[in-house]
Amino acid sequence: MEAVNRKWYSGMLSTEDWWAVWLGLTMFVAGLFSIVGVDLVGWMAKPGTWVTADKMLKVTGYDMNPWAALLVTYIIFTCLTCIGAYFMKLDVKKFFYGFTIIFAITWACWLIGHNAYLAAVPNEWDKYGITWGLALGGGASYMLALAVGLIIGNFFKGFAKFLHEAAKPEWFIKTAIVFLGIKVGLMSMEAASYTFELAVAGAAATFVAYMLFWPIVYSLGRKTFKLPRQWAAVLASGISICGVSAAVATGGAIRSKPIIPVLVSMLIVVFAMIELIILPGLYTATLDHEPIVAGAAMGMTVKTDGADAAAGAILDELMRSKAALRGVHWQEGWILTSAVMTKIWIDMFIGVWAFVLALIWVYKVERQPGQSHVGASEIWFRFPKFVLGYLLTWFVYLGIAVFGPDLVEAASHGAKIVQSPMRKMFFMLTFVSIGVITDFSKLRGMGRMALIYAIALFLIIAPIALIVAYIFHHGMMPLPA
Amino acid sequence: MKADMELVIVHDGEQWIASNDSLKASGCTLPELDENLKQVIIKSGVFKPGTKITVFMGFDYSTIPTWIRQYAAHYFNRYVSIEL
Repeated sequence: MEAVNRKWYSGMLSTEDWWAVWLGLTMFVAGLFSIVGVDLVGWMAKPGTWVTADKMLKVTGYDMNPWAALLVTYIIFTCLTCIGAYFMKLDVKKFFYGFTIIFAITWACWLIGHNAYLAAVPNEWDKYGITWGLALGGGASYMLALAVGLIIGNFFKGFAKFLHEAAKPEWFIKTAIVFLGIKVGLMSMEAASYTFELAVAGAAATFVAYMLFWPIVYSLGRKTFKLPRQWAAVLASGISICGVSAAVATGGAIRSKPIIPVLVSMLIVVFAMIELIILPGLYTATLDHEPIVAGAAMGMTVKTDGADAAAGAILDELMRSKAALRGVHWQEGWILTSAVMTKIWIDMFIGVWAFVLALIWVYKVERQPGQSHVGASEIWFRFPKFVLGYLLTWFVYLGIAVFGPDLVEAASHGAKIVQSPMRKMFFMLTFVSIGVITDFSKLRGMGRMALIYAIALFLIIAPIALIVAYIFHHGMMPLPA
Repeated sequence: MKADMELVIVHDGEQWIASNDSLKASGCTLPELDENLKQVIIKSGVFKPGTKITVFMGFDYSTIPTWIRQYAAHYFNRYVSIEL
């Protein structure tokens, strides 16, 4: 069946982007019921830090058996995602089986990663009766999930193919980002001016960085590597803006053959994984005195929303665990938010950028008689819709704090369940899925393109992102826990 | 923007193909497609010669590989003015 974006509401029921909004808002609204004293989300299971197996699983609200809560969690999210899969015209039966397996792997990794020897930080060791540990915080679960996903994606390719229908890292992470909006809203309740400062600094840094990234990478492609104009433009956008979505948007804007953004996207997905593996550890080792700078730089460097938010989440855990070793305790989420904030600005920027490129291409570069027109609706079609969910959840909780301070405590009850265990579960689903769909062997045969990508990423994008992030964010620190 | 004719456009790996239920045109480049489309429309007799029409072409995103659709949901739409 054809899929043409013709009306402003096209794709509302058929795209992952919109389904991230629907899924996110469903739980957001359910969480809001705590304001009237009704707990609609207390069935959510969550892992506990454990030494003995009886402590590994907890229930967030209801008084029920934790394993029963996990079953309810599975049933509810399987139903919701299968409804989404149905409307997105995925193979629902394959999606159901795939999601069930990914859900099981996700929870196994999440629970194992919360073993006290892996996760507990030194000031908690006495509490768990242990004398040593890796002190990785929640990062242990994330890294384990990523490793398992990558092993499946690269060594069990038949199995990975079976899971592909349900391995949707972008859908999962966009849903998690809508949930993150609730967290940012709660954080705004505590520190409105700091959150605002973080948002403005992120916007400014993003604008400056992208005015530099694109022309430099485009020139590198054209002048040094002699790439055709269309290849250079698509590659420049993919590397320097927001990965696959930028490559596709640019390919469309300049009317390139679809095969160009498709091939570039294969490269982007693999490199995003390389960035995800390398950068959190590197920044934790070298930038632990500037955690917000590291987060913002991450947001500008790592391509694709899934890889960026995943890298931000690992960075948040590793940075806080390292700080805890020094006796410094930061609130969870500020470093992650700085990474996601810059990324969201970039995502919003791509629609406008693609529109500008389309105007340049149609009216200048490939000007022809019988002129074709570029509709402003193209900006809307390329606008990342999950951002609407993120902003809505953020501003609703900010609004509660401003206009109904008496409701804050009741609102926080439901919000905390949605923004913490639910959000983290979707991060975990993202880690497993992103590993499953990443096949490093796809780099074979892409020698020159891979070389340009590596040079641009590590010698241009990463250093500039770091400098710009430092200029706009230095001195900003996560709030103390 | 209002269009006199609506078409779906795809790329088959070699050429751009624009079609609806009643007509179909193709070309290796978009200018070539537009020129061929003009001839097909004239031949169809739907519009009088000398008429200036606006044609909407919406890219069929279902032809993009499934794994990419989670990252982006739109390729392009274009409006072309054709004087028959």
